[in-house]
Amino acid sequence: MSILDDPAGYWNDLTRAEQGVTASIALFGAVLLLGLVTGGLNPTYFLFLVGLAGMYALMSLGLNSQWGFSGLINFSVAAFFGIGAYGAALMTSDSAPILGGFDPLFGLVVALSVAAVMAVLIGVPTLRLRADYLAIASLGLAEVVRLLVLNEREWTNGSGGVRGIPRFFDNWPVLSTFPEAMPGLEIVIVPGRVIELGTPFYQMVLNISLAVIFVAASYLVLRRAHRSPWGRVLRTIRSDEDLARALGKNTYSFKMQSFVLGSVIMALAGVFYAHLNLFVSPGDLNPITTFYVWVAVILGGSGSNRGALFGGVVVVTIREGTRFLNEFAWIPFDTAPLRLLMIGVLIVLVMKFRPQGLLPPQRELIWPGAITGSETKPERHTNQRPGGDSNE
Amino acid sequence: MSDTESTADTVDTANTASTERTVDTAEQSTADGSTTDESTTDGAAGRDIVLEVDDLQKSFGGLVATDHATFEVERGTITGLIGPNGAGKSTIFNLISGFYESDGGTVTVNGTDVTNKEPYEVADEGLIRTFQTPRKLEGMTVREAMLIGPRNQPGESFLTLFTDPETVGAAESANLADAQRILEEFEIDHLATQPATDISGGQMKLVELARAMLAEPEILLLDEPVAGVNPTLRKTLADQIRRLNEQGTTFLLIEHDMEFVMSLADPVVVLNQGSVLMEGQPDEIQTDERVIEAYLGGGA
Repeated sequence: MSILDDPAGYWNDLTRAEQGVTASIALFGAVLLLGLVTGGLNPTYFLFLVGLAGMYALMSLGLNSQWGFSGLINFSVAAFFGIGAYGAALMTSDSAPILGGFDPLFGLVVALSVAAVMAVLIGVPTLRLRADYLAIASLGLAEVVRLLVLNEREWTNGSGGVRGIPRFFDNWPVLSTFPEAMPGLEIVIVPGRVIELGTPFYQMVLNISLAVIFVAASYLVLRRAHRSPWGRVLRTIRSDEDLARALGKNTYSFKMQSFVLGSVIMALAGVFYAHLNLFVSPGDLNPITTFYVWVAVILGGSGSNRGALFGGVVVVTIREGTRFLNEFAWIPFDTAPLRLLMIGVLIVLVMKFRPQGLLPPQRELIWPGAITGSETKPERHTNQRPGGDSNE
Repeated sequence: MSDTESTADTVDTANTASTERTVDTAEQSTADGSTTDESTTDGAAGRDIVLEVDDLQKSFGGLVATDHATFEVERGTITGLIGPNGAGKSTIFNLISGFYESDGGTVTVNGTDVTNKEPYEVADEGLIRTFQTPRKLEGMTVREAMLIGPRNQPGESFLTLFTDPETVGAAESANLADAQRILEEFEIDHLATQPATDISGGQMKLVELARAMLAEPEILLLDEPVAGVNPTLRKTLADQIRRLNEQGTTFLLIEHDMEFVMSLADPVVVLNQGSVLMEGQPDEIQTDERVIEAYLGGGA
């Protein structure tokens, strides 16, 4: 059922949790819109936040394809993110200590390839073992990558980071000159509040386009994979790996594919970040990033791609939103340092009252079009809905 | 003649008459290091062997769990594997299906040596197994859980999902239809869209058996299929196993419920302390003194 054809029917077809999340998103969107039109929220900065949300959404999608699909515990999200970011930076920046000067597209391919190779290297010794061995190995990898980046100054410029990273579309025809070519605008909706749309804004529009492309591509790939027999094997591995093995599935191979796929998507987030921020440093590989991404996946619902997207947005909202709370004089304390506490409380509440997450998979994950006939539709009370083209 | 001598004579006579192998045969072939000549002779005599377990050994530290076990499963039979607790039945299942690595001996499925191969490689040879305590699959309906059964689905290749989605869709539709048909044959099609976590343990055992049939096994190993199952479902399971056997599926089953085993299985292999104690017809097994002693202990 399409939302355009029958909005009321679409709304009624949603579960209570989905209705709650949809209403929250609508309310949040309205607040943002109000901030934008009143000039309280800078549009360029707003787009930067959207970019950050896209970046976290990518990492959440990557972790979801590992933990949510297959039950693989990966604590090196920040490492793969860093591999992507540094891979892109070292390949494309003119001031990189090694390499540098290549086209961002080439940097993208190299960064993702390095992430894939690293995932295979970490997966080979650990994926035949119990899940906790991968968890331990990935913890080690995260620190090894961070310390390598910090200490191998000849390669990475150490704590100084890598500057001079070009924007992703800098060498593209039309797009490279698009921000400068666009006319500057000054919009006044609320008297005294001028909304300026200049070159930085259009530059950010391009960045957001890149984020949208990366997120949409990753989401569509994972969506197809999740409801396929491939995804079904992964979900079986997560619940009962021995059963999958007994039924003739090479679980090692499936886990490796899942691990590499997720790691590459995490690296994609890093590539995007490098071209958004135009500067990367070892601080970007801090373990706190991994923590945020785990929170996003658990919050959204393990195994749910849309849950991962939602969780990524929520985490960025809390992370960045707490900066603005200090603007309100009636709050008697500094809220920014409390963001970890807030996220911790949020996770405790989710675990207590909704352990499956806010948007867990609601549908049978069967290949679209394979189910025909209304008699095969699941009972409504089972909270399962038929597989098909609609959301999972 | 003492009671012991009398029992030994009876067992020897029964074994000779049925040309079944006993633990004595296995020990003899191991002792002289030769191959299992008797098995080869049986094969030449026209017996169609699906599964051959030869001199299988497994120890866990100082504990010998499988001690030179040797037996065969003929195609088209329901072979029972019984023995007291700790006899090594589940260990043998795990060795056969590749979940444990053996210390010695061989396992052959359809003439292919699968010793110490990975479980999925053993399954590829047509040997499928179930588990004593099936875990429920979180977040799946029964029919989704069924769809894991078919082997080598085109959609299990990640690349094929994007390069040939039509083939994936066609295979998925066919598998879904097969799953529906088998659920109907098992008379549990009303459970198809129920969450797999919501059905009872007994129903799960039925689903497990039905799912295994989707893998089109040459031989199906059932590990305590009626453990914890109520009498009604137990009868249903027995009927289904018998029906599938009549359709050509070979079974090797472990079960503690003697009534269930004896009503279904022929022949029955008795394990004790990791070795094959004897092998024969159900009525022979039930009256054999050594079997009774193994179950009841030395004082019986």
